[in-house]
Amino acid sequence: MRRLLALALLLLAAVPAQAQFNLDFNGIVSKAKDVGKMTKGVAGIGPEEELSIGGSVAIEIAGHYGGVVRDEAITRRVNLVGKALARYSSRPQLPWRFAVLGSSTVNAFSAPGGYVFITRGLYDTLQSDDALAAVLAHEISHITLRHALKIIARNDFFSGAMDLAAQSNANFAKFDAGIDQITTTLFEKGFDPQTEFEADQQGRLLAITTGYAPGGLRSVLVELQARGGDPKTVFSTHPPLKERISRLPAEPPPPAAVPPAQG
Amino acid sequence: MKRPLLVLGALMALSVPARAAFTVGGKAYTKRLSTDLLSDPKALAPAAFHLGYGRKLKVDEVRGVWVRVEDGPSMGWVFGGNLAEDKPADTKGMDGTPLAASQTSATAAARPLAPAAEQYGDRKGLAEAKADVLWMEAEDDAITAGQVDAFLQANHKGEFQ
Repeated sequence: MRRLLALALLLLAAVPAQAQFNLDFNGIVSKAKDVGKMTKGVAGIGPEEELSIGGSVAIEIAGHYGGVVRDEAITRRVNLVGKALARYSSRPQLPWRFAVLGSSTVNAFSAPGGYVFITRGLYDTLQSDDALAAVLAHEISHITLRHALKIIARNDFFSGAMDLAAQSNANFAKFDAGIDQITTTLFEKGFDPQTEFEADQQGRLLAITTGYAPGGLRSVLVELQARGGDPKTVFSTHPPLKERISRLPAEPPPPAAVPPAQG
Repeated sequence: MKRPLLVLGALMALSVPARAAFTVGGKAYTKRLSTDLLSDPKALAPAAFHLGYGRKLKVDEVRGVWVRVEDGPSMGWVFGGNLAEDKPADTKGMDGTPLAASQTSATAAARPLAPAAEQYGDRKGLAEAKADVLWMEAEDDAITAGQVDAFLQANHKGEFQ
């Protein structure tokens, strides 16, 4: 009996982490279906409009967080890991772009249309590609789930503002007001906790699908929690670290940093 | 003897459906502009068929991260990460053309900062930030799909796991 139980446990342990993870995948899929229904609410925003909104928000993000770090090696690294993840996302056709911001705060941001940023303060704490992938996958999920677009889609006054071809001041004012709503959420209020938890779950799934360690995001959050620090500068626009950690499976941290092969 | 075998069976059963969200007999959708159906569940296997965006497929077999699918007479293996469980929401590409009709990668190609975003940066006096985003786009767009392929292969990610 004991031997059989041991054998069974060994068999379970032998199942790849990816397979074990998928035990709760149906739940995630169910949530994704709900999201799919909600996505119809932003159907009025087409690809060109999304790029216009995303580019404007990206400019605001760069302006607020110390500008883009113009280091080619760092930019190349975040792009290779980011584009690898994006390839298996639900929107692989977006022109995905990744960059590091020159801010010492610990945070990450995304803008519609495929723009993903992490601050230098966060980048420097990430000790492996698994950890970097976990953070980027969370932000990619905000974009694929159209979280920022939903902020403006909920507001009637923004409707019609996308007709910028008219080049009227009234249209610019509406457009700018919509961008302001998104940046206020990104920089001050943050998304609501459920939205962040959803991005955590979806991002974890994306990282695993791509082949990165299941425990990547959890290990980043645990590391940041252990370091302490001012909550105003560590993921200040996200739910408390403790809450996010508690909602992630207790998976082991990824192996220590291994220099990635560049291909 | 029966009870331990039952326990073992139950534990093994738990581990089997864990393998994939795609189930045999169920459906899947292509989510890339072009998806190769491979002759074997290996990244470098020859492509037997090519499918366009948003095709509804029947799942015939699941083997680890690989899924064998069919679309009428076309059948073959696809890495699960290249499939979606639900019909993709995007109907048009970045150039406004319907994705389902696109047979090129033009919609996924580099897109410069949208004119409306450039104008926004000018209106708000964010010239430096705008220049940063333009630099970011130029750097990022210089990384080709082939370089991402090579990165995936060298690091055993995606279909190269």
